[in-house]
Amino acid sequence: MPPADIGERLRSLPGGSAVALKLDAREYADHYFAVLNATLRDVGSEANAHVIYITVTNPASFVWSLAQALDVPPDRISFVDVISHIMMNYSNPLPNATYIETPRALEEIMLRVDYLLRKFPHPRSIVVVDSLNALAIHNPRELLSEFFHIFLTNLKSRNVLNLILLTSDEEAGGLEQMLSLLVDETIDVGR
Amino acid sequence: MESPAEPPSPPPRALMAPATILERCTTGIAGLDDILGGGIPRGNMVLVAGSVGTGKTTLCLEFLVRGAERGERSLFLSVTEASEKLIQNLSTFEFFRADLVSDGSLVFVDLPMLYDKLGLEHEEMTADEIDILIRTIHDLVETLGVKRLVLDSLTSVCYRIRRDEAIRDFMLRLGQTLNDLGCTSLLVSEIGPTQGRYSMHGVEEAIVDGVVLLWNTRRSGDILRVLQVVKMRGTAHSRAQYVIELTPIGLLMAPHLKGGHPEGA
Repeated sequence: MPPADIGERLRSLPGGSAVALKLDAREYADHYFAVLNATLRDVGSEANAHVIYITVTNPASFVWSLAQALDVPPDRISFVDVISHIMMNYSNPLPNATYIETPRALEEIMLRVDYLLRKFPHPRSIVVVDSLNALAIHNPRELLSEFFHIFLTNLKSRNVLNLILLTSDEEAGGLEQMLSLLVDETIDVGR
Repeated sequence: MESPAEPPSPPPRALMAPATILERCTTGIAGLDDILGGGIPRGNMVLVAGSVGTGKTTLCLEFLVRGAERGERSLFLSVTEASEKLIQNLSTFEFFRADLVSDGSLVFVDLPMLYDKLGLEHEEMTADEIDILIRTIHDLVETLGVKRLVLDSLTSVCYRIRRDEAIRDFMLRLGQTLNDLGCTSLLVSEIGPTQGRYSMHGVEEAIVDGVVLLWNTRRSGDILRVLQVVKMRGTAHSRAQYVIELTPIGLLMAPHLKGGHPEGA
C-alpha cells in the first residue's frame, strides 16, 4: 500500500480490529515516518480518539519529538515506554508516558495499557505496538505468542483498534506467521 | 383417547451452574470479581497471605473503600501500622475518598489501643482475654453495622495467642461471629517468601473459607507480583495465576504468562 494511503485505510477500520503494519527493512526510515504519520496524525486526530503508543524500538521521547513535528496534541497520546529504563535513559520522564523497567515484563505492558484505557476512556481507543521485532529481541517466541494472543483478544473485545508494527527481514518470518493468525489484516507499507 | 398433557419442562440452567448461588460481596477490584465468579460469598472469612511488599494491605484497603462506596460500612482493624499513617498512604490512591472516613463509612481502629482499653495486658492472651477480644469485635461489627472487615494482620494477633489449639478456637469463633452478622472479612497473613504454607502456624488456612495468595516471582531476574485464589468456599473460581499491579486507580490484574513452562516463564 502506498504510504500516503495508509492513514485513510486505518481511519476506515472499526474498533476491535487488529492490523499488522509491515515495514520494509530497506526503506525503514521512510516507512517508519509514514506509519507514525498515519497512526498518530491521521488516526489520532479523529474525533474522540486516544492513542496508547507502546514504544520498544525507540524511547518515548524520540517518538514524541516526531509526533510534535506532526502537530499531534499531547492530550491525544499516551506512551507506554518499555525501553528507556533498560537503556538507563530515564532522567527526563515525559508527563504523558508511563515507564516499564524491562521489555521482558510483558504482563506489565498489558496492565499499563489496561490502566490507561480505564484512566482515559475514549470512544475511539487505538493501541500501537512498536514493534514486534523489538519485543522478540527480549522474549522467547512461545512467550511472545502467548502475550499477543491474550493481549489482542482482550483489546479486541474492548473495541480497541490495534496496530502492530513489524519490520520484514529474514529473521522475522516466523514472527510474521504467528502474528498473521491473530490480526485481521496485514498492510505491506510501500507495496 | 387424548394423552395426558406433558408436564412443563423446567427452565434451562446454564451448563455447570451450581444448584444454589450464594449472595456475593463484590470486591470492586478489577478482575478479582471475575475470577471469583462475581465476588466473595457474603460472610466468608478469607486469608490474604503473602510476604512483604506483595500488596496484601493495599488489596485489603481497596476492598474496604469499594465497599464503603457501595454503602457497606467497612472496618479496618490495624495491628501493625497506625491508622493515621495508613490513611496517609491511602490518600495517594485515586480510588480513596477522604469523605468515606469523615462520614464513618470507612472506620479505622488501632488494635493495640483497643488492647490497652480492654486491659489485655498479658504477652500471651489467656482464654478469658481471647473471649473479650472476640466479644469486642462482635460488638463493634454489630453496633456499627459493619459489612466488610479487614484484620491486618492475623499473624500479629496470633503472636499473642501462640498455641495452635487456641488459634484454631479463636478463628472458628471469629468466623462464626462474623458470618452470623453477614460480615465478609479479609485476614492478612504474613508469610516468608519460601514458606510453603499460607500462615505462620499452619492452622489458619484450614479454618478460613478462602485463601488468596500473593507472592513475588522472577523472570530473568525481574520481579513480578502474582496473585492466585487457592481456595474459596461457596463459589467456583479460577485457580490460575495473575500478575498484579497496584496502580493509582486500584489493583489491576493480567494473566501470568507461562510461555510453555507450567510454573511460569
